[in-house]
Amino acid sequence: MDESLWHESVPRRMKLSTSKADEAFESIFHEHWSAIHRLLSRMVIDPAEAEDLALETFLRLYKYRPAQHENFNTRAWLYKVATNLALHSIRSFKRRDHYESHAGKDALIESQEDQPSKLFAEKEDRYFVHMALGQMNPRQAELLVLRYSGIPYKEIAAALSLAPTSIGPLLLRAEREFEQCYRTLTQEEEK
Amino acid sequence: MKDHLNDGQLRAALDRELDSDELKHLEACTQCQARQKMLESQIHPTAERLSFLSFPANDTGLSTSAAWKKFNNDRLAQKETNMFRKLFAIPLLKYGVPVVLIFALILAFPGTRALASELLNLFRVQQVAVVPVDFTGMEQLNGAVGSDISQLISDSITMTKKPGDPVTVTGADEASQQAGFDVRVPQNMTPSRISVMSGSSFTLKVDRAKAQALLNEAGRTDLILPDSIDGANVSVTIPSSVSIAFGTCPQPSKDGDGFDTNSNGSPGRRYADCLILAEIPSPSVSAPASLNVAQLAQIGLEFSGMTSEQAAAYTDTVDWTSTLVVPIPKNAASYQQVAVDGVTGTLIERPADDAPQFALLWVKDGIIYAIGGLGSNSQQALEIANSLP
Repeated sequence: MDESLWHESVPRRMKLSTSKADEAFESIFHEHWSAIHRLLSRMVIDPAEAEDLALETFLRLYKYRPAQHENFNTRAWLYKVATNLALHSIRSFKRRDHYESHAGKDALIESQEDQPSKLFAEKEDRYFVHMALGQMNPRQAELLVLRYSGIPYKEIAAALSLAPTSIGPLLLRAEREFEQCYRTLTQEEEK
Repeated sequence: MKDHLNDGQLRAALDRELDSDELKHLEACTQCQARQKMLESQIHPTAERLSFLSFPANDTGLSTSAAWKKFNNDRLAQKETNMFRKLFAIPLLKYGVPVVLIFALILAFPGTRALASELLNLFRVQQVAVVPVDFTGMEQLNGAVGSDISQLISDSITMTKKPGDPVTVTGADEASQQAGFDVRVPQNMTPSRISVMSGSSFTLKVDRAKAQALLNEAGRTDLILPDSIDGANVSVTIPSSVSIAFGTCPQPSKDGDGFDTNSNGSPGRRYADCLILAEIPSPSVSAPASLNVAQLAQIGLEFSGMTSEQAAAYTDTVDWTSTLVVPIPKNAASYQQVAVDGVTGTLIERPADDAPQFALLWVKDGIIYAIGGLGSNSQQALEIANSLP
């Protein structure tokens, strides 16, 4: 679907009778499942957890039907909810040993790659990225995830109820906070 | 534009999100360009670290069509489960009784045995029966009617003894001492926690006119409550219970109704190895002899979506003075009778992919036993049950 049609087509598709709304929901599901699932797969590492959270994201869209509102942006809303669920999951599962059992050690054992040290470094780095996101102010973390997932400023602004012109300054602040959290975590690890 | 761009605008420019006037200024202003380069180098490490969020697709997970199928299965199961929970989201649950037990007790008021005294101690659990109910048909509980029904039940109940918080004990002997019955702990297994919940009691007085008005409001004018329930006093006494946990389990709570599978973070995995064995002597119910439990059960079953014939057929199979009737979501759970602990028990399974659950129920020597767990390894529940001393 042409991205420019989002603002118009989604509310129109959802503001229908119940059976039509269900059809509209199905088309939205098919359109966004891959992207949302992919985002969550990158955010939470455990594939089964990512799948659960992706289904939960769509379940919330189905239950609350937020698309009834004017100017509703489905994609941004889905990304926002998925991001929140992922951050919540990261905070709930931030114990190192648990993470490693899902991401680090297991991946190394199972990997067919011939560069285990490189893979380990990537996993190690990803661990600290997740932990830093989990430690940050949730709004700042949301903003970072949405932006680095490729969502345009206008859609981020709609999802987070912000003015589009405020995204640049807020993003800069979020990036600085992220870096500070990340460095603190890695420095603590080195001690 | 005379003013230089601020850092926020320069940051937006890096994402090509600047408006045209500002962009023109940036293209012409070396000072702004220098500042932007400095910002770019500053955020470069962060951009690198977060770049994995926009990597191209390399997915091996569920295909969209498989996800859609799973979504619909989950939605139906969750809808039923939610309705199931809503049905029991009433204040008396705050007083520590497993939801199914309460529902069974409400349905299981003693029948019309002609006994001399006005109040009779009739109900004692000797067996378990399951009734699959299509809770998705009970949409009326979602709105104001649902709140009114909860309010009516709340107004009708007087707690005469509230349970305390669960108390952790050191072993079977202490549990037996505190609970007042012989607690059985499986041999060759070490519990992670044993908790005792003190007993409770309450009385229930029904206002027939209000209850009938709510049925009418819910669109069920075809269901007529009998006059005999008006003002009838029913008293329920629930003995102390014991909960024996194995593995990593949620903390026991007097408000809790088990595992919260709706919360974020997949309890199905968090408590994947958790099994809880609950033991409780049969509660007792005293009620006027004029109450016809089979008639009330029939109305309850019809309200839940059964036809009159189906409800009548079911009520005919149940001895309401000795049977713990457990309603389960029709589309989200299955059940079977199993041999357990020397008697016949009932194994209920909710085979969801994300958080499967099971419960094994049986009654022996006046004690109701239940083993619940998340996951699909219900065999372990049977092994525990069969290893009880």
